[in-house]
Amino acid sequence: MHNEYIPFLSEIKEVIKHTSIEYTFRMTYEGKEVKPGQFFEVSIPKFGEAPISVSGISEGILDFTIRKVGKVTDEIFERYVGDKLFLRGPYGNGFDVNDYKNSELVVIAGGTGLSPVRGVVEYFSEHPQEVKGMTLVAGFKTPKDILFIEDFSRWKKNMEVILTVDCAEDDSACRIGLVTEFIPQLKLKDIKEAKAIVVGPPMMMHFTTQGLLKEGFREENIWISQERKMCCGIGKCGHCKIDDTYVCLDGPVFNYTKGRNLID
Amino acid sequence: MGYNLEKASMNDIFKTWSEEYAIYAPKCLVGKGAFSDTDSVRYSEIQDIEEIEFDKKSDFSFKEILTPISQTLFYFTEEEIKEAEVPKKGAIIFLRSCDLHAVKRLDEIYLKNGFEDYYYKRIREKVKFILMGCAYSYENCFCVSMGTNQIDSYDAAIEPYKKGYRIDNKLPAWEEVFSEHCEKELEVTPSYVTENIVKVNVPEGITLDIVKSEMWNEYDSRCINCGRCNFVCPTCTCFTMQDVFYTDNGKVGERRRVAASCMVDGYTDVAGGGAYRKKNGQRMRFKVLHKVYDYKKRFGYHMCVGCGRCDDVCPEYISFSNCINKLEGAMAEVKKNA
Amino acid sequence: MDLNTKQLRKNAFRVTKERGITASRIRVPGGHMEAKYLSMVQNIAETYGNGTVHITGRQGFEIPGIRYEDMPQVNVMLQPIIEGLDINQEKCGEGYSAAGTRNVTACVGNRVCPYGCYDTTGFAQRIEKAIFPHDLHFKIALTGCPNDCAKVRMHDFGIMGMTEPQYDKDRCVNCGACVKKCTKKSVGVLSTVNYKVERYADKCIGCGECVLACPTGAWTRSEQKLYRLTIMGRTGKKNPRLGEDFIKWVDEDSIIKIILNTYDYVAHYIDPEAPLGKEHIGYIVDRTGFEEFKKWALKDVQLPKMAEVYTPVYWKGIKY
Repeated sequence: MHNEYIPFLSEIKEVIKHTSIEYTFRMTYEGKEVKPGQFFEVSIPKFGEAPISVSGISEGILDFTIRKVGKVTDEIFERYVGDKLFLRGPYGNGFDVNDYKNSELVVIAGGTGLSPVRGVVEYFSEHPQEVKGMTLVAGFKTPKDILFIEDFSRWKKNMEVILTVDCAEDDSACRIGLVTEFIPQLKLKDIKEAKAIVVGPPMMMHFTTQGLLKEGFREENIWISQERKMCCGIGKCGHCKIDDTYVCLDGPVFNYTKGRNLID
Repeated sequence: MGYNLEKASMNDIFKTWSEEYAIYAPKCLVGKGAFSDTDSVRYSEIQDIEEIEFDKKSDFSFKEILTPISQTLFYFTEEEIKEAEVPKKGAIIFLRSCDLHAVKRLDEIYLKNGFEDYYYKRIREKVKFILMGCAYSYENCFCVSMGTNQIDSYDAAIEPYKKGYRIDNKLPAWEEVFSEHCEKELEVTPSYVTENIVKVNVPEGITLDIVKSEMWNEYDSRCINCGRCNFVCPTCTCFTMQDVFYTDNGKVGERRRVAASCMVDGYTDVAGGGAYRKKNGQRMRFKVLHKVYDYKKRFGYHMCVGCGRCDDVCPEYISFSNCINKLEGAMAEVKKNA
Repeated sequence: MDLNTKQLRKNAFRVTKERGITASRIRVPGGHMEAKYLSMVQNIAETYGNGTVHITGRQGFEIPGIRYEDMPQVNVMLQPIIEGLDINQEKCGEGYSAAGTRNVTACVGNRVCPYGCYDTTGFAQRIEKAIFPHDLHFKIALTGCPNDCAKVRMHDFGIMGMTEPQYDKDRCVNCGACVKKCTKKSVGVLSTVNYKVERYADKCIGCGECVLACPTGAWTRSEQKLYRLTIMGRTGKKNPRLGEDFIKWVDEDSIIKIILNTYDYVAHYIDPEAPLGKEHIGYIVDRTGFEEFKKWALKDVQLPKMAEVYTPVYWKGIKY
């Protein structure tokens, strides 16, 4: 009988500091195949577990981009290269890149929302021929809050990248404005068939999907990723249930036709 | 096979069982009610059949044996983990029809729904259920409306009869011990109720629009979000994880899970300070719809088993069954306003 | 008219401001009784009184407007009440035996109130049986919980119900309800440590708010009924004051024994010149010193292990 609650140890190989409260922890991993958008329960004994989505997947390595917002993540930020964390997962459905192949794809991410979708962006950055076109709109509060800055120049080679901040004093590197403002400017050949992934804070997701629908995107062509209190990660504890949906099992990635009905 | 047994014989059988099983039944705990000089009927381990409270509904349900209120999952040091030990003995649980129907709901979540729960399964595998027949309905019961008034998936059924008990046994392994100790063998059919005073109508055709109904608002002020309704419910399964360290040795501790309630503050809190259902009316709506609407969408049958314990326990006299009976009107209301 | 006012007072009648007219005083120990006695009171008031009844400050009834010559008939009519309320009576059919010791009062207690830690009326009746009738001026009151709705601290002996909360940590889900209630409604002795609750027992007043708040039954009441005994509170002319704590976590038997011992103490030390032979016990204690009182009060008393005796005790209050 398998005990899903028992975590395994994973070593921190690298810590990449994006902002003062957002670091990526590059961790050793051997286990089941992991998809972008899936999450792990990351824990430190005594402090507890936190659901963290995978922000990068490579051979023997998983990236977790963590925002320092609570008891567990505060403690994780005290750890350095060579220290170990406990993991269990992968959990959730994640993004299936097959859903977007041979389509025009728009990825719109707000803040740390870029983490779960980063794997999808990476995939199509490496396999540009598998999509008909790709646009990434990434919005952050200020230039200081930008994540994965080093990735953007690489991504730009193979896709349209709109990097925007809500406000900036003096800035030339990125544009200023909410991600929603760029939706009408999207250059798409066939908006009815184009596909979109929206990930970010609840309000940002709400207005972004509304904007996409207004431009003519079809509901079934939009995917979102929901964040809830995923405590057990395996459909038992009930905290992430919304209507008949367990976000930890059926999500966190939802087609919008389902996602729009998730009323807490 | 059915049997007539005397009390003494039942206790002899208990002795035999106790080698392999702990026996749990509703028991009247004198003075353990919240108010002074009141009692509480709770599930406790028993040695003597006369400890069983046959005449009252238990305040808390049997679920505490399968899903302990506080359960240690494992012990840890900073880099090592040691799984908590499984109870050595199995369990025999005396329970009523509604509660045995609830076992199916617990199984649904803990054995299916994605992953199998290791800790639940290792207890569940070693549990036998003895049905306590219901000769009459108790206050607030609405099992007939929920279709949970009768069940035959028990290992044995028992009812007090004159000075002894009547048993219907379905477990081949127990045939010998019963026939050895019985006064006589006969056909026994467990009693069940065919009508409750409380009846509920779960309307067909509920849609998520019901969220917009005004009916939930009254609970914003009436409900005190104490969670009693959840903690007594035989079908509520939610829990929260806790990591604790032993104060005398800060490097050692345990991870455990404890029962959680969707009515209590903190249930939907996410790291960083967000919470999803702040108003008590929203929590009530979430709970009620789970019991009689969205659980069925996922699993094909209603979660609520109509035991009525939530109504028995609510200090604010909020009736869950009455709330169900408002759903039809609420649907009409939101359709009219659409 | 020739009347022995001393005697009629001992028979629970009063010398009123109106010449020739008395009032009958009916004591209801513990303040709770079967409703049928109300119609008997009504009957007396309408037959021999002026048709009115006063509800007294010590949970009795006073029937005014009775002519002195009707006292024997009133006593006959009082007999079923006296018997029904199980009042200690010297001679059957001759009315209440009353004098210095006042009716033992009680809040409604756990017969009705969720906060009540015990049956206040039941305990009051037990005290009644132990002490009545008595000429010495004793005022005793019982209240179900530390809310003190019965204002027992204004009495010579105040009995306050407590419960020693029992905590089953395995039933605790860390919902925080008890900690919140204790902090906001009581004395704030609960705190969350490591997802469980710790109680600072020394400061706990045993109000039972935690037990009432707990949704899982992790908190329950102690099997033994325990009390806080406050002493020597008083109203009155010279130095009204609140009673001070004497013993915390004391049991019923000890309380009764302490009260009986105090009768001996008062009998020994009372001012022989006291008007009508009555003196508030507190003034006697002021005179002898608390330690002397304590010596008498605790004589042969077997306190429960957890009982805490406060010593020395000082009183405040207003001094005129």
